[in-house]
Amino acid sequence: MRSRSLSPMPSVIRISGVTKRYGSVTAVDAVDLEIEAGQVYALLGPNGAGKTTLIEILEGYRQRDAGDVSVLGYDPQRQRGELNRRVGIVLQRSTPMEGLTPREMLSFSARLYDHPMDTDEALELVGLTEHADRRGSKLSGGQKRRLDLATSVIGNPDLIFLDEPTTGFDATARRQAWEVVRGLTERGATVILTTHYLDEAEHLAQRIGLIKDGRIIFEGDIAELRREMATDTRISWQPPIGLDLSDLLDEWKSLRAGPDGRLSLPTQTPTVHLARLIDWARNRGIDELPELQVERPDLEEMYLELVDDSQALESADSK
Amino acid sequence: MNTADIARTLRLGFFYMLLNLKTIYRQPAALFFVVAFPIMFLVIFSSLLTFEIGIPEEAGAHVPVVKFSQYFVAGIVAVAVFGTSFNLLGTSLSIQQFDGTLKQLAATPLPKASFFMGLVGTALAYTILQLIIMIILGVVAYGVELPDAEGWLTLIWIILLGVPAGCVLGIAITKIIPSANAAPAVIQAPFIILQFISGVFFTLASLPTWLQWVAGVFPLRWLAQGLRSVFLPDAYKFAEPGMSWQLELAALVLGVWIVAGLGLSILTFKWDRSG
Repeated sequence: MRSRSLSPMPSVIRISGVTKRYGSVTAVDAVDLEIEAGQVYALLGPNGAGKTTLIEILEGYRQRDAGDVSVLGYDPQRQRGELNRRVGIVLQRSTPMEGLTPREMLSFSARLYDHPMDTDEALELVGLTEHADRRGSKLSGGQKRRLDLATSVIGNPDLIFLDEPTTGFDATARRQAWEVVRGLTERGATVILTTHYLDEAEHLAQRIGLIKDGRIIFEGDIAELRREMATDTRISWQPPIGLDLSDLLDEWKSLRAGPDGRLSLPTQTPTVHLARLIDWARNRGIDELPELQVERPDLEEMYLELVDDSQALESADSK
Repeated sequence: MNTADIARTLRLGFFYMLLNLKTIYRQPAALFFVVAFPIMFLVIFSSLLTFEIGIPEEAGAHVPVVKFSQYFVAGIVAVAVFGTSFNLLGTSLSIQQFDGTLKQLAATPLPKASFFMGLVGTALAYTILQLIIMIILGVVAYGVELPDAEGWLTLIWIILLGVPAGCVLGIAITKIIPSANAAPAVIQAPFIILQFISGVFFTLASLPTWLQWVAGVFPLRWLAQGLRSVFLPDAYKFAEPGMSWQLELAALVLGVWIVAGLGLSILTFKWDRSG
């Protein structure tokens, strides 16, 4: 945090060409990334995109197969001991610690660091003050997660990793967790979080890295992401059953059929394509295309489509 | 490593031990099986078997008869020591490897040395607690005679070497445990077998030589023999292999386990098997 007063903002994380393979699967594929101090950076992507593998390489849990990694100036693979003194890590799964209370857990954690936060302050920060003396086994899922957050910041880290901090939460619990994360970032630490929720990235992050199939396919703020993803207009309609579509499918490779048979064509020249479509329909004696729509899908829809795509691929792979 | 680092490692090891003690203390099941079990054994056997035992006179030495409980307390203390170190530590470590507790711990600046010190300290603390209960119970209820000054000294170093040696075996066995659910079963099997071949319940001399050799590789046999030297009259050494308490050999075997085994098992220890 001392480094925050320096300008321009130095990079907290700088990686290049980072690759991780499991057998024939490349989980992280030659990723380059640079994250500035003081930012909240979201690695956004569907399940299986490589988010957790990448963040665990940065944390020092996993060994990379290739590439260079510098986190706060350390190589996590070789200098994990030094790195651990300055980072806070929230793993995807909560730590059970059934027998201990949040206060006991936090006062032990505080001893591990050189300049820890006060235990009461950490409890307050995550809103666990009134549950401070309750056994771990009696805490709810959301409370356990907040304790994870408190444990990760008790050492006043310069950098915090949050791996899917709200997965499995209901809407209220997520909003509460977001409040907590915002509270943490106000203290000045750099935060890197992984999430597969677009709205989570939007609410928390100044910068988003969209990751798919082990590659970062986009990087920028949420406005840039909107511009990037919402370029294509979409023409869609419901074709009558039994209609021969083969020549149309040949002509437009990007034409796709939904599960209900609805056809949809992403295009940057909607007027040209619409005219062509109307011609094609008239030649087959169709004057009115059923349920015709010309629209620009919003970011949420585009993202969901991207997620669906890779999940369809995943299930195809497993067959 | 400078003095400040060493002081920090020791201090954090101590606090990790306190944390562990608290966790185990709040798990009634673990507490019952490991701490109360040997005590129950002592109560049951000493109540059932009230005869006296002796060994044949050897070369003119005077061999007094002793109560069965006097013989049995040595064996059951050995089992208790081995139970808190090997059994309790192996089981809880294995569970923590699979449930992510150790993965989270590996993200903190807790030195590995402090972690393992804390574990050994935990086992040592529970062993001492058991010892106190068993010795008081043995003396008060079953007429067990307390050792002499030399015996106490032997008891202390046997415990100080035996507990870490058992811990090494507990850390090592986590490698062959396939899942958290399997942990108690995988650990119970060698624990029970070792009890029967290490001279805890039956004298070593009644076992075939090859089995004596097998038992001789593991710490429990040396623990039990050392403890017999503490609780039995000196003349009973004639019933032991080599007609001696073999204390030097016991110290050597336990020492090798600690020095070689601890280094090796720490180096190859898996912090995370949750994935």
